Amino acid sequence: MLSNVIYLGLLIVAIVKNVRHRHRLGSQRLELVKASPFTPPITLIVPAHNEGRSIVGSVGALLGLEYPRLEVIVVNDGSDDATMEKLRHAYQLQTARILYIADIATAPLHAIYRSPLDPRLFVLDKEAAGCKADAINAGINAATSPYICVVDADSILEKESLIRIMAGVFADPGRVVAVGGIVRVLNGCRVVNNHIEEVRLPKSPIEVMQVIEYLRAFLVGREGWAGFNLLPIISGAFGVFKRDLVLQVGGFRTHAVGEDLDLVIRMHRRLHEDRRSYHIDFIPDPTCWTEVPTDLKSLARQRARWHKGLIDTLWPNRDMLFRARYGRVAWIVLPYMWIFEFFAPIIEVVGYTTIILALILGVLSKSFFLQFLLFGYAFATLISIGSVLLEEMTFRRYSDWREVARLLIYCLFEHFPYRQLTMVWRLQGIWQYLRGDLQWRSIKRVGISTNPVA
Amino acid sequence: MGFIFNGIEKLGPTGLVLEAILVSLLGILLLVGFIVLRRWYRARYFHKRNQRTVALRSQWDDILSGKISAEDWRFNPLDCDIVESILLDSIEMSPADKLPPLLDCLRVSGLLDMRIYEARTSHGWKQRTALLALGRTRAMEAIPALAEGLDSRLRETRIAAVRGLGRTARMEAAIPILDRIVTGQFDAPERSLKNALVNCCRSSPEVLINYVEQTHGPVRELLARVLGELASPELGEELVILASDVLPEVRASAARALGNTNTSYTLPALHTLAADPEWFVRLRAVVALGQIENLGKISILLRSLCDANRHVRQRAASVLARMEPQLHQILEEVVATKDDYALQAFISELERSGAIERIVSGFAGSGHHSAETALMEVVTEARKRVELSGNAAAAAAGSR
Repeated sequence: MLSNVIYLGLLIVAIVKNVRHRHRLGSQRLELVKASPFTPPITLIVPAHNEGRSIVGSVGALLGLEYPRLEVIVVNDGSDDATMEKLRHAYQLQTARILYIADIATAPLHAIYRSPLDPRLFVLDKEAAGCKADAINAGINAATSPYICVVDADSILEKESLIRIMAGVFADPGRVVAVGGIVRVLNGCRVVNNHIEEVRLPKSPIEVMQVIEYLRAFLVGREGWAGFNLLPIISGAFGVFKRDLVLQVGGFRTHAVGEDLDLVIRMHRRLHEDRRSYHIDFIPDPTCWTEVPTDLKSLARQRARWHKGLIDTLWPNRDMLFRARYGRVAWIVLPYMWIFEFFAPIIEVVGYTTIILALILGVLSKSFFLQFLLFGYAFATLISIGSVLLEEMTFRRYSDWREVARLLIYCLFEHFPYRQLTMVWRLQGIWQYLRGDLQWRSIKRVGISTNPVA
Repeated sequence: MGFIFNGIEKLGPTGLVLEAILVSLLGILLLVGFIVLRRWYRARYFHKRNQRTVALRSQWDDILSGKISAEDWRFNPLDCDIVESILLDSIEMSPADKLPPLLDCLRVSGLLDMRIYEARTSHGWKQRTALLALGRTRAMEAIPALAEGLDSRLRETRIAAVRGLGRTARMEAAIPILDRIVTGQFDAPERSLKNALVNCCRSSPEVLINYVEQTHGPVRELLARVLGELASPELGEELVILASDVLPEVRASAARALGNTNTSYTLPALHTLAADPEWFVRLRAVVALGQIENLGKISILLRSLCDANRHVRQRAASVLARMEPQLHQILEEVVATKDDYALQAFISELERSGAIERIVSGFAGSGHHSAETALMEVVTEARKRVELSGNAAAAAAGSR
């Protein structure tokens, strides 16, 4: 209940922040940003492990992004499939004799390649270290721009997304050290040559549920937290960071289960310790489209992994809790994450068990219980519908009214039974973490596109 | 509604929960209703707007020439908005000689005066929208109203005024910004200021020189950076003075500017800057040397190739590797430096540009066997070293 009240507060903050952002965007012409000599260069880092099916198209799309000074570094993280061969063939890669300084230690590099077809493209071929963080760190070492943007190889960025996300940096380059963009569900959309031709809702209920979840998490949660400069996470699928700060905190933590969350928390820690005035922002319009699990088994694995990532970050940073030097992060966002994220499934299980026991023992009125359950359900649904409203007020990606109607209907099922399923998966994550089982389990993906280079 | 809640309250705690359920359900209904209504309204509005846009576009020449009186569209908010949008878009896209009829239409219809009035009297987003629209008009009479916006106590409004002045792309619009910047008290994002000044001072960058001379610290750096983007050959002497500035950022900007001014002052000034104590000034000087056509730069670049900083070395190598006719001579001189890092950087760049094979084949056909054999040995050795057999060697080389 308290969690929903907090989310209601975040929803209100998010609506205000969104409206302000849209006004501000109106005064910032993107074509002028593109033409400005003062637009800073940015390096896109694309970790790729066994992405042979989509890598060529993905890189083509990234090179086609609208940004004046762009460098794309693909890190082939010891793929067993044809990822490297496909890249070599499609972009006629040649060995590049560039200096590579391992500011952050990584698994050894085999070679660095450059494409004569597009001098902005570099490919690092490295030994697999068994984690995405190591590949990203290699990319950070090779990056030459003051800003880096980490993008998943199986995701699609919209053409203007880089300029839009950098608008967050331009607002206050001295203070803004990282900016996150929104990640949306690609399933169901029509994709041609790695570009979204038509935004559609996916067909299966499990995917639609994730659409609602993503909308709530990004448009309400992240936007709301960013409003207080308390953003605890920037998605690993799409985020911009100041390179020198990432180097200062030692890059992404190798073998961290949730490397994106871990990095942002360590950035908060470092910046507070250095007593620097900073802002970690979220911009809701730069969009990254990503494929979400289509079956329950994969979704269960993903959610268990996310929860392991959460524990894996919260536990090493437990010393930050309630310490004055870490400011509001230590007093608000970290306790929130411990109570309402980490302990939430445990609290829910305890709650359900207590209620059932109370009903059996007859100490709880059945009618009161049903009414309270209905209220909890209605209140939570209100928040879900609120996130759809926010989407409607701002970006309206789902233009067909029937799709919006479907979204609204699915909001009714998000808190029963979908929420209870995620609770079980998160409990599995806790159990796996306690057993020391941190291994990466593959998630079944359909693949976004197999089209050749555009 | 009140009697329902009164009745519920009589139920005690159960009533409270029922009340909460009702409020939540009401909230859900309101949200859904709002979404549906908003969709319906927007669909209707855009349909109507599209129709009016087509109609006004078909009469555009008459609107512009005044055959259709401004009174016919000026007092209909939708028509007025559409005409203004078309006018401002046209102004932005038009060359200078096509501007007068568009500006006349803005003036005669009263749209310009309306925006000036809004910029002066409105507040919040309305004022900011007016300031940006005024900037897009590129009209001289818009500048005073925009300048007043610079004195707003709200930062967002000041930013809108800066952007508006920048969009006029008029030198006169730069003066209010510069006058405020030199006080050192003007608070606006550096990037917005620089972009506005670049747009306004493009045709006459010399206006910046006086202001650079009057300022100190970060403001001086900002203005020098703008000057670095806009410098023309006429500014040669002034730039040489800036090249000896106490602020490294200013010297770096002077180096950047000198790259656009190939005068008799350029090479000596860049020679000095390429030996600057700050690495980024040296780097800027090397980049600028790459932009000028003067063989005298080879000796400076060779010195930079042995620089302690890897970025400077790499850039110097990149510039040298592009001097195709002199590559043999340059390679000999690089070998003569006996600096392994310099040689590696240069060979790397030659390999990257593909020139290495031509040099090797050139040596094969030359006839100076003993000298060439010795040189080739060094080159072959250097190429081997450049090979990335492992990170450790590369990291050690780079961290130098």
